[in-house]
Parts: sequence; C-alpha cells; structure tokens
Amino acid sequence: MEKKFEPKIVAILCKWCSSAGSDLAGVSRMKYPPNVVPITVMCSGSVSPNYIFSAFKNGADGVLISGCHPGDCHYIKGNYYARRRIALVKELLDFIGLEPQRFQMSWVSAAEGAKYTEIIKDFVKELEPLGPQNKLKSNL
Amino acid sequence: MVKLDDIKNKCINLLEEGKVKYIVGYKKNSDSYRSVPAFIEKIEEIDQLVWDPSCVYNLVRFLIDEKKRKEIQKNPDTRPVGIIVKGCDSRAINVLLQEKFIKREDVYIIGVACEKSGVIDEKKLVKKFMEKRIRKIEFGKEKNFVITTGEGKTTVPAEEILAERCIECNNNTPVVYDELCGEKIERSVSEPFKSLEKLESVSTEEKWNFWKEEFDRCIRCYACRSVCPMCYCDECVADSISLAVKPDTTAEEKAQKIRWVEKSPVSSENFNYHLVRALHLAGRCVDCGECERVCPVDIPLRYLNKKMEKEASEQFGYTAGLNPEKPALVSCFKDDDPQGFIK
Repeated sequence: MEKKFEPKIVAILCKWCSSAGSDLAGVSRMKYPPNVVPITVMCSGSVSPNYIFSAFKNGADGVLISGCHPGDCHYIKGNYYARRRIALVKELLDFIGLEPQRFQMSWVSAAEGAKYTEIIKDFVKELEPLGPQNKLKSNL
Repeated sequence: MVKLDDIKNKCINLLEEGKVKYIVGYKKNSDSYRSVPAFIEKIEEIDQLVWDPSCVYNLVRFLIDEKKRKEIQKNPDTRPVGIIVKGCDSRAINVLLQEKFIKREDVYIIGVACEKSGVIDEKKLVKKFMEKRIRKIEFGKEKNFVITTGEGKTTVPAEEILAERCIECNNNTPVVYDELCGEKIERSVSEPFKSLEKLESVSTEEKWNFWKEEFDRCIRCYACRSVCPMCYCDECVADSISLAVKPDTTAEEKAQKIRWVEKSPVSSENFNYHLVRALHLAGRCVDCGECERVCPVDIPLRYLNKKMEKEASEQFGYTAGLNPEKPALVSCFKDDDPQGFIK
C-alpha cells in the first residue's frame, strides 16, 4: 500500500492567545490532525522572518503564524507589528514562487479552541494536494 | 540643464570657507567614459569633478565608511562631509537620518537634479553601441543623451539607454539638500512599478523557475551587501563569519552562534540570503540600483526590492526616504492595515 503524504506543519503560536487556544483544543478533547508541531513564542510580533525561512529550510511543508486578535495583544500592539511584517513576508514568498497556501497567518484567541482545530484541518487539506515542499528545503 | 560650473563653484566656496572636510563627488575614469567616485580635499583638485549620465554610483555608502572611520579616530575632524547626491541618493540619506545612523550636521548635501532624464544603464549602452569605443557621454538639451564615439557624436533618446529605475523614478529632484544645482522639474510617473508586471503575472511555477535559475548562479560574494548604503550592520545575520571573535570568545560561544543562513552557495541558502536581505531592505531600499549593478552574475536583485517597495506603497502607503521624522515601515502600524490574508 502506498503511503499517504502527510504534510508537516510548523505552527508558531503566541503564548497568550493562540497557544492557550491550542491547549483548550487539547483539554476539550477536540480532534485535529497530528501534522502540526506547535512552537510557542512570547508574541507574534517577535517572530523574525528568519524563523519562517528556517522552518521551510528544515523541511516544513507549511508554516502557520498565529497571534491574538487585533486589540487583544498582551503587549498592546505586538500583533499589529506582526501583521505588517508577515504581510511583507507573504508577498515576498509569493513573488519568488512558493505556493501561497504554504504560509498562513491566523488570529486565534485563548477561547477559540474550535477555530484552531478548523484552521489546522483546512491547512492540512490545502497542503495535501501540493505534495512535499522541496523548494526552500536545505540542499546542503 | 545642470551646469558643471555651478557645482564646481559651490564646491570651491565650501572648501574655501572650510565648511567641509572633503567633498565626495564624481570624476572621470582615466581610460573610459565612466565616472568614478572622487574625494576632493583641495581646491586645486576641483577640476576633476564631472557630472554626466554615467554618474551612476550612490556615494552615500561613503558616509557610512566615514562614520565608522570617525569612531576609531582619536581627534576626529568634526566638520561635515560634502556629498554630491542625485534624487535617489538623497532618499538614502533620509533613511540614514531616520534611523539616526548619521546626524544631519555631519553631512553637507549638494543636491543635483536629474531634471528630465537620469543616469544610464551600462548594459543597455554597451548593447546599443556594440564594439564602438565610447569616449564621452553627456546630457542633451532635451530628454536625450549625446554620446561621443570614435566616429563622432550621436544623439540618443533617453529612454533607450536610461536605467530602468530612472524610468520609474519620481524623485528626480533631491528631497533633502543644503544646496541644489539644476532645475526642479515636476515629474509624475504613472506606472512606477511597471517592470514588475511581467514577473507578477506569470504562474507560481514560472516565478519559481525564474528565481531558481537566477539564484543558483549566486556565488555569495556579498557585493550587493557591500555596496548597499542601507547595509551598515557591523555583524550581518547572513554571514556568521562576522561574529566578533575576541580573545575571550570561547569555542562554545562560536559553536552556539545561530547560523540562520549557511555560507555555502547552494540554492536553498542563496534563496535564504536574498529573501532575508530583501526583507531587511523593505521600507528602506531607495531603489538606487547599486546591488544589481555590482552583481558579477547579473541577478536582477532590483525586482525583489522593488516588490517590497510596491507592497509598502500599495498596502501601507509608505515610501522610503521621504521624511526622516516619520517612523520606519515596520516600526509603525495603522489600525486599518490590510488583513485579508489572515484567517
């Protein structure tokens, strides 16, 4: 039997909202695909483009950045900065020809465990037809 | 038309009054039509100065070297440095002022207006004149250039050999200056991002193939970084060799230094380097075209930076180097920044 392609997703989640949201999904026993590796950072505004590129370089098929909803940031305005920076990264990755589905951003609050599971489900569904990400993968 | 005598007179005045320690300008290369940077300290040297369409260099880079030199001098000369700038270069000064890298009083800016044209693209020029030996190139009366070859003078319409960035440029007059040479001529380019259209309209795969072919050639000589007036960091994220190794730096510290970008010139690392560079220049790049000019393997680096410029302008209404008082692109935000891509 041929093995089905299972995309690897790196999810960079902010500590105060999205990470708590994913915890909520876990403790509420909500089911979502196990393809995602969550990484907790203090704020979505602290995500350097280097994190994203190095995830792709180390073989991630998709990268998700998730933070608090606008206005809810623990540090007042970190997610606003993130929004601007990530928009630029996204445009740049599209421009060099990486499939736009591979890099996504979302707002997930600590109460939105269900939304988090939906986002991961959709993400996996979108990545499956694309196959493995070899474009930015390290070929050292 | 910009008169060379006008520039020279201003420089002579500055040097006579001792207002500046030296002037960075352009002089003729000894054996071709090209201009090269000139550093003028004495009045006798002023005759070297030239101003013609081959003055492509962005001299602002030398302000960075000057600042770094000054930092290690015991009794530095505190007088400002005189510098001759075009419209694009003046924006680069504005970005440096905005980032508080240089002080306004450390530089005396002699702005030169590009008026109706701009500077040449050497590749276009060489293609047009093939083997003919070009002796001299001058600004014409209207929007054209007068080129002197061994066979005599030819007038060429500016569009044919003008650099692509100059065709798309709106800042033909410097935005910051102490003295201005030439006329202020209003110019409004209707399609400032036209060169990107072709690349943006193709499919994802085609885009990838294009950039893959380009970046595979990169030899990581870092010429683009060395020439860039915005790349002034002492330690570059892309180049782990520049970790400040002191006598007390342990092997462990060296080993644990995060290497975001490896040094080997392989495809993935080249992509990584150029993407990081493009992002670090987002909202700072003034499109002076130096990176593309110095690239020994002709990678069209300008497109990457131009793309960032386009997004900054269209999504966030930001143009680099217009106002040194305003915050930089990624260090400010608006409540209504577009967020259609966020789920």
